[in-house]
Amino acid sequence: MMVKTYLLEILTAVAILAFIAIFLYTSSTMEGAEFAGSDNVGSGLIAELSGKDPESFAPLIPQWEPPSGEIESCLFALQAAIGGIFVGGVFGYWLGQRKSMSDAKVNR
Amino acid sequence: MHIMEGFLPWQWCIVWWLIAIPCLALGVWQLKKIIHADREALPLLGVTGGFIFILSSLKLPSVTGSCSHPTGTGLSAICFGPWITSVICAIVLLFQSLFLAHGGLSVLGANIVSMGIVGPVIGYAVYRLLKNTSVNIYLTVFLATALADMFTYATTSLELALAYPAEIGGFGTSFILFMGIFAVTQVPLAIVEGIVLALVFKYIIALKPDILIRLKIFSEAQITTARGDA
Repeated sequence: MMVKTYLLEILTAVAILAFIAIFLYTSSTMEGAEFAGSDNVGSGLIAELSGKDPESFAPLIPQWEPPSGEIESCLFALQAAIGGIFVGGVFGYWLGQRKSMSDAKVNR
Repeated sequence: MHIMEGFLPWQWCIVWWLIAIPCLALGVWQLKKIIHADREALPLLGVTGGFIFILSSLKLPSVTGSCSHPTGTGLSAICFGPWITSVICAIVLLFQSLFLAHGGLSVLGANIVSMGIVGPVIGYAVYRLLKNTSVNIYLTVFLATALADMFTYATTSLELALAYPAEIGGFGTSFILFMGIFAVTQVPLAIVEGIVLALVFKYIIALKPDILIRLKIFSEAQITTARGDA
């Protein structure tokens, strides 16, 4: 019964653990694995296919770039935090709504 | 799935923008309609949109030795359809173009088509196909979200292969090469994303089943069964 109730939680935990295990395995055994973004790897292939130097692809519309990896990760964390506020806020709102509804039933 | 600024010829940028704009316009119109019709739909939009913000910021390592991020668009596509999802994706992708140098303004149209249109359309189609069958709700959510993720990356590969056909073998060869980079990396991420979002859906069902029934996302009987089984 317990297994059936929490089947999805168990599956999620197994999937995440398997994902971590695969990462630890590939990162220690694979040679030349840099874990760069697939976007960059894709851009490398574009340069190869078009026979142009990757540096020669200039932005069509000028673009601001985060000056360092730290600033980039700060802004990515900000993006995740904004999402987290929405998700947490709504789940809290729904929990409160449900609680006040059941309290109202008891008082009646 | 981001095509980087400058890496798509301007002719293709225009083509993808022309496809993206009508979808976004339809999305904005639907969004206005749903907000006026049902205020209680807003929190659900907050949760499903929130997951797009969170998941698309996580760059995860994969078996190919490179990193990529999930899209998180499937849940919103199931609840609100593909066009409203396009609008949320456009906001996220605009943020990433302006502040993170991930994508850019000229390639934004192409990136909206892959993450905000094709992915959600596929996710929504999978959900509609399975909705009225005996397939378990969570399996439906898993398949819709995982496939929305996979097809986003297949679309990026398609967009790049169209713009950069290989000298020998042309479009087909290029498509296979780009799929090798984007799609293969994405397989494990899409599976994990599908499972995680199915779990999130379980919590939405547990907390607020009435909104799912009212928006006719699943029938009352299906929701009741789902609350019983998991």
